[in-house]
Amino acid sequence: MQNEMTLERLREIVEAYGASPARWPHAERSAAEALASSSPEAQALLAEAVRFDALLDMAPAEAPSAALTERLIAARPRAATPLVPMRRETAKGFLRGLFEAVWPYGSAAFPAGTLAAALVMGVALGSASDISLSVTGNTATASAETGEGMIALAMADQAWPEEWMQ
Amino acid sequence: MADRRLGPLRGAGANRRPRIGLTPPHPVCSGTGETRGKIRLDKPSDDELVAAVASGDEAACRALMDRHLTRMLALARRMLGNHADAEEVAQEVFLRVWTHAERWEPGKAQFGTWLHRVATNLCLDRLRRRRGTEDIDAIPEPASGEPGPDRQLEQRELAARVEAALQSLPERQRAAIVLSHYQGLGNIEAADILGISVEAVESLLSRARRQLRVALATEKDELLRSREISA
Repeated sequence: MQNEMTLERLREIVEAYGASPARWPHAERSAAEALASSSPEAQALLAEAVRFDALLDMAPAEAPSAALTERLIAARPRAATPLVPMRRETAKGFLRGLFEAVWPYGSAAFPAGTLAAALVMGVALGSASDISLSVTGNTATASAETGEGMIALAMADQAWPEEWMQ
Repeated sequence: MADRRLGPLRGAGANRRPRIGLTPPHPVCSGTGETRGKIRLDKPSDDELVAAVASGDEAACRALMDRHLTRMLALARRMLGNHADAEEVAQEVFLRVWTHAERWEPGKAQFGTWLHRVATNLCLDRLRRRRGTEDIDAIPEPASGEPGPDRQLEQRELAARVEAALQSLPERQRAAIVLSHYQGLGNIEAADILGISVEAVESLLSRARRQLRVALATEKDELLRSREISA
């Protein structure tokens, strides 16, 4: 490979990739560097490319705003944090606890029928709204303050990202 | 061509408890290369951070952003030509990271390459949507006026002209030079991201630089002169 590097090929490399050997094609890098260090024409070529690279490097790029960072942190995935431990015995205990909250008079005195069912259901639903039983698991969520757009964006893409890998 | 898929959907990963820095890194993958085969308590790999992100670790989210957000923003800035649009793309990139974190499989793909692909495609998509709403052949008006004695003003004007010249490039040439020159990616990685051959990358780069030289012919001399003055 060392012998195959020509000034013409070095010129092609520099005109495409610039002056920095770190950006040159890996397989040709050492041969190109060897020629560059031994040839006055190559050195002149590189010197001009260094200046042009410096000019390109002037293209502006600012740091991310604090607002962007905080929006992203607000939209980060949340771990599933069930209020109720996922054990059957305790689930039973939880339901029993709900039952007793509705009807503290003991099961023997509990009225049968739809009224009873409605009582229990009403309390269960009312309580559930305060319980963050996370059904979304690790799916990314967005807090309300980040806006509808971000929520839609975060939740919309549940498919592979290939649709925009064109 | 490298497989771009992230791999089959994994389970919710409820049993996975990633601990940053304490999980042995996958032997193939690593965020930085130098962590391969080593357990680094002080510098977790990208894969470890992504796993921790999936479990809601805020510190991991911040670490991943510290590591990659500025670079993604810079990529988008050079592709799109303004900070506001660049922040929108950078935001979309990381929202996708958050969304896909639990499906990320170490070893299937390099996280950095994936990130670059996401950002590049979002930018190209945005540029295509811009087409038809403006004349993309018109070079954006750079800062006008003769360069004055104010050195900072000179530098800002030069910067604006370089940015304008970048914006005048066709999209694919711009993407090639952003990935290669500004992001410092190798030709193989750039080819993978753009979905083309390395020969095609080199061709795009040659044409891009040729066009930029024409667009910036006077600016080159100005920069040289300003550096000689300040030397």
